Amino acid sequence: MQPNESEHLKDAPRAAGAIDGRALARAKREQMRRRAARIRRTVAAGGTGLFVAAFLGVYVQLASGNDPALVAAARRSSAASGLTASTSATAKKSKASTAAKSSGDATTTSSSSGSSEVSGTATSSGSSAGEASTASSAGEESSSSSTGSESSTAGSTTSNAGEETSSSSSSTESSSPSSVTTSQS
Amino acid sequence: MNTLGATTIATAVGPHLFWITSRAAGIAALILSSASVCVGLSMGRRIKGLSGPDLRVTHEALSLATLAALLVHGLSLIGDAYLHPSLADVAIPFVSSYKTFWTSTGIIAFWALALLGLSYYARRRIGVQLWKKLHRFTALAWILGIVHSLGEGTDAGQSWFLAMTAIAVIPPLILLATRWAGRTAPAAPRTARTTPSR
Repeated sequence: MQPNESEHLKDAPRAAGAIDGRALARAKREQMRRRAARIRRTVAAGGTGLFVAAFLGVYVQLASGNDPALVAAARRSSAASGLTASTSATAKKSKASTAAKSSGDATTTSSSSGSSEVSGTATSSGSSAGEASTASSAGEESSSSSTGSESSTAGSTTSNAGEETSSSSSSTESSSPSSVTTSQS
Repeated sequence: MNTLGATTIATAVGPHLFWITSRAAGIAALILSSASVCVGLSMGRRIKGLSGPDLRVTHEALSLATLAALLVHGLSLIGDAYLHPSLADVAIPFVSSYKTFWTSTGIIAFWALALLGLSYYARRRIGVQLWKKLHRFTALAWILGIVHSLGEGTDAGQSWFLAMTAIAVIPPLILLATRWAGRTAPAAPRTARTTPSR
């Protein structure tokens, strides 16, 4: 046997081991690559899911009317409109009181017992007091709208309508205290 | 009355789609960036079940996802009909007239995150040591982003948003504080222990 051949035979298992090592390293690298790809996919899916969840959350919040920005904007606009309405109502009230002052009995009643009583006596006493009743109901509406709650606005509108009805139906007995109590309640 | 109000607002959601997209992307970016900072700070520690390379890949993926979310957050605002900002308004600090300070804070945070984050791919050109020093400033950019979200965010006053931000932000803040405390603490003497002489 030649010395070269013997050396070659000795190296054979070492070469096989080296090949095994390379294959092992390649397999390990492949495994790491697959693991990295899986992590990237998970993060991408998680990020997309997070975005979709946030989108749906904000969308539902907006659609249900609970969005903080829109609610704040609505509050601001309602406050501004309430301010305008109350200013116009004050102007109307002053106009009405001036008109009522010129009409004798109606003036006394309105100054002693408030706006609802004005509406009670106004219908019976004539056209100038009719203006006063309209003004008082408008004033109530504007004051309730300035508070901002929709239900209270609706309630006050109904009560105003009620007052108008009661005052028009009991026009002959408008000076009696019972009719005044009914219209107030 | 309520139903009518809800219907009125529900029909008005359409024009706000870009705005909703921007808000959702901002929320996603906040959570993703916090997670990324958390993983980045954890990389020096031993965590059971997660190897170093896994954490590195997770950190990289989370950072890229954050940048993508931030791009969506800024670019989708351009389509918003109410604000209607230009590209310069959302890309250059102190250009937008809408809440200039908070908007600029967000823009600066985005550019800082993008430059410091993407510099990872040029770290050999920059020099690894210099890159490592620069990369520490990413935490500051992240904090700037949180300040932007709390200062300008539409949902910043909402309790769910504050709770979510706290859950996302507190763990990385603790890790950051620990890291800084570790850095600022005086180093233990490296000399050999000697027996005290009487």
